[in-house]
Amino acid sequence: MLCRYDCGSPEHQITRRSLLAGLAGGAMGTFGISRFAVPAVAEELKSAQKRVLIIFLAGGSSQLETWDPKPNTDTGGPFRAIPTSVPGVHISELLPYSAKQMHRMAIVRGINTAEDDHGQGAYIMETGRRPDNVTRFPALGSVMSKFVGPADSPLPGYIHIQPGGAGYNKQDSAFLGPKFASVSLGDGNPPPNVVRPESLTESADRMRNMLRQRANERFAARRRTAETEAYSYSYEQALQLMERREVFDVSKESPQDLERYGTHDFGRHCLLARRLLENGVTCVKVTHSNYDTHWENFDFHIEQLGEFDRPFASLIGDLADRGLLDSTLVVVMAEFGRTPRINAGLGRDHWSRAWSVALAGCGIQHGAVVGKTNPNGTQVTDREVHGGHLFHTYFRALGLDSKQKYHVGGQPVPVADQTVGPIEELLA
Amino acid sequence: MPDRFWISSCAGAPPSLACSLVLLFSWSTAAQEPNRPLHELIDEHVSAPWKTNGTTPAALADDAEFLRRIYLDLTGSVPSTAEARTFLDQPAPDQRTALIDKLLASPEFARHMSRVFDVTLMERRPDKHVPANEWREFLRIAFAEKKPWDQLVREILSSDGADPKTRAAAKFFLDRDAEPTVLTKDLTRMFLGMNYQCAQCHDHPLVSDYAQEHYYGIYAFVSRSYLFTDKKNKNLVSLAEKADGDVKFKSVFDKTKTEHATGPRILAGPPIAEPKFDKGQEYAVAPADGVKPVPKFSRRAQLASLLAVPTNTPFNRNIANRLWAHMMGRGLVQPLDLDNSDNPPSHPELIELLASQFVAMKYDVRALLRELALSQTYQRASWLPETAGELPPERFAVALIKPLSPEQLAWSMMQATGVTDSACAALADKCTEQTLHDRLAGNVNEFVATFAGAPGEPDVRFQASLDQALFLSNGGLVRGWLVPGTGNLADRLVKLFNAEQFDAVADELYFSVLTRRATPDECAEIAEYLKPRAADRAVAIQELIWALLTSSEFRFNH
Amino acid sequence: MSSTQMPQMLSTNFTIDPAQTRLAAEFKHSRPLFSCRFDPTGRFVFAGAQDNLVQRWDLATGQRTELAGHDSWVRGLAFLPGGGCLYSGDYAGRLACWPYAVESPQPMRTHEAHQGWLRSISVCPDGQLIATAGNDNMVRLWSTADGKLVRELAGHNCHVYNAAFDPTGRHLVSADLKGVVKHWDVATSTLVRTLDAAVLWKYDNSFRADIGGIRGMSFSADGRWLACAGITDVTNAFAGVGKPVIVVFDWLTGRAKPPLRPQQDFQGASWGVVYHPTGVVIGVGGGGGGGAMWFWRPDEPQSFFTFKLPAVARDLDLHPDGKRVAVAQFDGVLRVYDISPKPAA
Repeated sequence: MLCRYDCGSPEHQITRRSLLAGLAGGAMGTFGISRFAVPAVAEELKSAQKRVLIIFLAGGSSQLETWDPKPNTDTGGPFRAIPTSVPGVHISELLPYSAKQMHRMAIVRGINTAEDDHGQGAYIMETGRRPDNVTRFPALGSVMSKFVGPADSPLPGYIHIQPGGAGYNKQDSAFLGPKFASVSLGDGNPPPNVVRPESLTESADRMRNMLRQRANERFAARRRTAETEAYSYSYEQALQLMERREVFDVSKESPQDLERYGTHDFGRHCLLARRLLENGVTCVKVTHSNYDTHWENFDFHIEQLGEFDRPFASLIGDLADRGLLDSTLVVVMAEFGRTPRINAGLGRDHWSRAWSVALAGCGIQHGAVVGKTNPNGTQVTDREVHGGHLFHTYFRALGLDSKQKYHVGGQPVPVADQTVGPIEELLA
Repeated sequence: MPDRFWISSCAGAPPSLACSLVLLFSWSTAAQEPNRPLHELIDEHVSAPWKTNGTTPAALADDAEFLRRIYLDLTGSVPSTAEARTFLDQPAPDQRTALIDKLLASPEFARHMSRVFDVTLMERRPDKHVPANEWREFLRIAFAEKKPWDQLVREILSSDGADPKTRAAAKFFLDRDAEPTVLTKDLTRMFLGMNYQCAQCHDHPLVSDYAQEHYYGIYAFVSRSYLFTDKKNKNLVSLAEKADGDVKFKSVFDKTKTEHATGPRILAGPPIAEPKFDKGQEYAVAPADGVKPVPKFSRRAQLASLLAVPTNTPFNRNIANRLWAHMMGRGLVQPLDLDNSDNPPSHPELIELLASQFVAMKYDVRALLRELALSQTYQRASWLPETAGELPPERFAVALIKPLSPEQLAWSMMQATGVTDSACAALADKCTEQTLHDRLAGNVNEFVATFAGAPGEPDVRFQASLDQALFLSNGGLVRGWLVPGTGNLADRLVKLFNAEQFDAVADELYFSVLTRRATPDECAEIAEYLKPRAADRAVAIQELIWALLTSSEFRFNH
Repeated sequence: MSSTQMPQMLSTNFTIDPAQTRLAAEFKHSRPLFSCRFDPTGRFVFAGAQDNLVQRWDLATGQRTELAGHDSWVRGLAFLPGGGCLYSGDYAGRLACWPYAVESPQPMRTHEAHQGWLRSISVCPDGQLIATAGNDNMVRLWSTADGKLVRELAGHNCHVYNAAFDPTGRHLVSADLKGVVKHWDVATSTLVRTLDAAVLWKYDNSFRADIGGIRGMSFSADGRWLACAGITDVTNAFAGVGKPVIVVFDWLTGRAKPPLRPQQDFQGASWGVVYHPTGVVIGVGGGGGGGAMWFWRPDEPQSFFTFKLPAVARDLDLHPDGKRVAVAQFDGVLRVYDISPKPAA
């Protein structure tokens, strides 16, 4: 039945003015139909299922204790560097398991984001843009949930596993709309309200939904709009998600895996991430807390990286073993790095001038190390890049055009900072 | 012209009392040609293009449609079962007009307007320096006392937050940290209906009217202001202002990088006259450590008297457009903050008329809303017969379907399920709009968290997300309202079930939840549903209520 | 972090007057200092720093000699009684032994003693055994004769920060990140008891990490008291917001006395503690407010004197003459302070 309402499809957008009207009136992104006025994007939606895994080392992990060690220097600290599975590439001795996965990974060592504030730094790394007071851009997970997520998935497209906190973060998706908001699994617990309450039997739920649908059919006979349809459909999505709720239960994984990943939070969260990715969630972000080591940086990095190293390496290895790594873009990032200078409390402070990010998976050149810093890590000496370059690189790694544009309130907005381009050396 | 027009518009509609009333009305007003009421002029303007573009409008809404719609738009909630029954079962002549007047005079109206304008002006930003409830109370009192819109805006723009009596009004500035780029963007959007944010770095790339110098003209009013924290009381943050600081700007598109300067001005208007002071004489209270400076001439103080005045046409157009959009579901200028010559209003003369009339009404919000509510445009049905073609919404030939705001949804669900009435009964003779609101307002928070957009973003789009569906399906809050309890809807329905009065169940259910009578088919369906459920009747009743509560018919204002 | 010492006294007049504390000597290095010890003869002071070297300064001449041979920072420093041999341990887990009094000391017998940081070394008073403690949660006993491993003491479940023999040499104490203090019988290598200094540890729930550790440890000369230095009352682990404190155990009963705290509010940690033969407890530390040295009388929980240091202090040692202390400081300077009464004019 041809819809009799202004559903916002390209056929209706004949003038710029009605484009403004339609988009502003709410026709963007409801129940999975692409509303972009750019045909190329719809094509990309049909490409093979891809995924994104983001590991966020909250607080700002030290690049000198991870991906760009400088042993035996005035800034290097007491740790040594160890060889990895890529000849010539060394990382911190605190990452022995990750070192064995380096042949699946790449490192960018020349990052200069020039932003030492936690919130602003995180924004740059998540959105590929510098913060301004004009537009809030969507986070990587929301963006990719929209671009590479299947249109009709019963599972949320972007799930964030973090210590503490729960709910739906609409800021993440910004102008893309709540459909692409991140769903937070606080402490790895399932999203709120995904379990049918005990007092509600399955049959009662079925009956009442049947009544609801009948009421909606009657109403739709006379008053059917894109919005009423989207609303009605959201219940079907909710029911589908409820049926799939076991996907959030990491205890259903094998005892061997539970042991291998570890009983600490980050370990369980990585295993849950594997589970979600395998079950069709487009983008999973795992936040590991916390790395803001202004005091006793070395002791704390032993502890935090001790939690990080083995589960992360297991995750990379498992994704590879299961044939998923080639279609999963993996990014290990933080909001910034840490100062080469060691302060009086044996700590390192915020530092965004010369730090590192690690990547793996889809479209990434195995074993690549891009960018260099000087001997004591105080400066980038080769191939300096920032969040904008990285954002382009994510698009290209996933096989997407990083020069395309959104249409927001009638204005074309590039998906990535157009003053820079992708880091070609990182792309396979 | 007018008489024939009125008759023809009723011909296609089912006979109804409203239709006859319109005929009656048109006779009596025909004689007052020079002083025709605004709502008639509205309908004229709206219907004028229909002959040429072949539009057959929807019929007028029936009483049930009108009743629910007017309650939602003016009080933010569906009516009580009793109010619904009275209006629908015992119609009185001219009852629509009487209802409009009653609702406009009600305390619920002031409360609803305070919520609507809170969201419009603060976009659900988290509290920073002024608690939301103080600000909302300030707005509520303003609407209760019929404070003219221009006066309200001038108060918002002129309070510095230092005086406790006027502090709440300063939330607009204070909670944006007096940050000039944010303020410029929001002042132009919310009070002038123009989104100037892209004109910060260059003339607006798409809108030729929005020049960079206009942006900085507004910016110059606020760029010298900043937040000042009292040394003794760190919680007391107010607005301070320096006596110096000139606004200069360059366009990023200008290769010559020419620098321009501007003083404060309202868009294309003249720059304001600024007195010159000798060096060292600029301050009434000089800046010092811990001392809030007071310049002899405050740029920010000029803003209120230049922006919120009848001579500022964009100011008038903006509020007229927003009030129109509130009632009709869409602005004459759409989006609401993109008024410019490349985005003309759907009805240019009408918006000008509304703007000038609003000024003539001395910015009386109630008066304008009254005229809007009385118009046929507002009172149209929201559906068209099968045979009608597609109708673009900007023709206003059929009423637009509007999603309920998170607040409307919460309050309507509480009303429908009987939570509101039970709370009122519990308060007994202390039950007033205020006490009832205070008692139940906490229930609204989860709805806002689940249904509202991101803070700091305009609430323009409806998006149904599955977390909302999960909240309404499995969340404890709404489920609790469905459980039969003293006098609530579930309880009343169970009692009717016990008496085997299934038709009465349908009747009470539909009046309470959907503000209308059940059709014969719906009655039959309910009877068929309930009859086999004697063993778990309370459960079956809850299923019924839930199904209607979560239906599209409830979720939307139609 | 370890600071375990057995004051070898050269004189018997130990009268001190902390209120007259004055700088006696300054020895400068280019990197922040990390640890310090006087040798048993009192001729030299040794210091580890944020590099792979051990500095040796001759107290009389000021001459500096670098001892090179480690692969990471050196925190553990201890001497064979009677002199001659210095044991040092680094954060690469390596233990080295040096004939330290020669002109250019070279390391003999270097070997890996721990996986990860070697944090502390203590030499048994009879000179037969040394104990090392480290980040592999282990305490190890080594023969001083041939350097071979004699015994492994397992039981800690987190980093062991400090180990110390008591003055008799029959008992060994090891203390870890979580404030668990284990008392071992040296002869049988069995665990005798566990003392609780958990007040020196906290798991910070917002940063999700542990902060703590017995950073300094000292037996009183008569073996009756054991002082443990660290940080407590932590409100923000990653900013080091907490308070320096010394927990003192009654060795006989195993019970903790009321902890010793600086008299004035101080934000930071205590990194070193020594018992003076007079019974006065001396502690050093640092944090947001810089560095400080505190003095406590026995049985008085509040310090009776605070000496402000020019920089955060990481370690402390008492000179065999009982009149001077060495403090290793963040500004790279090893400062020797005279705490004895000033000679009459």
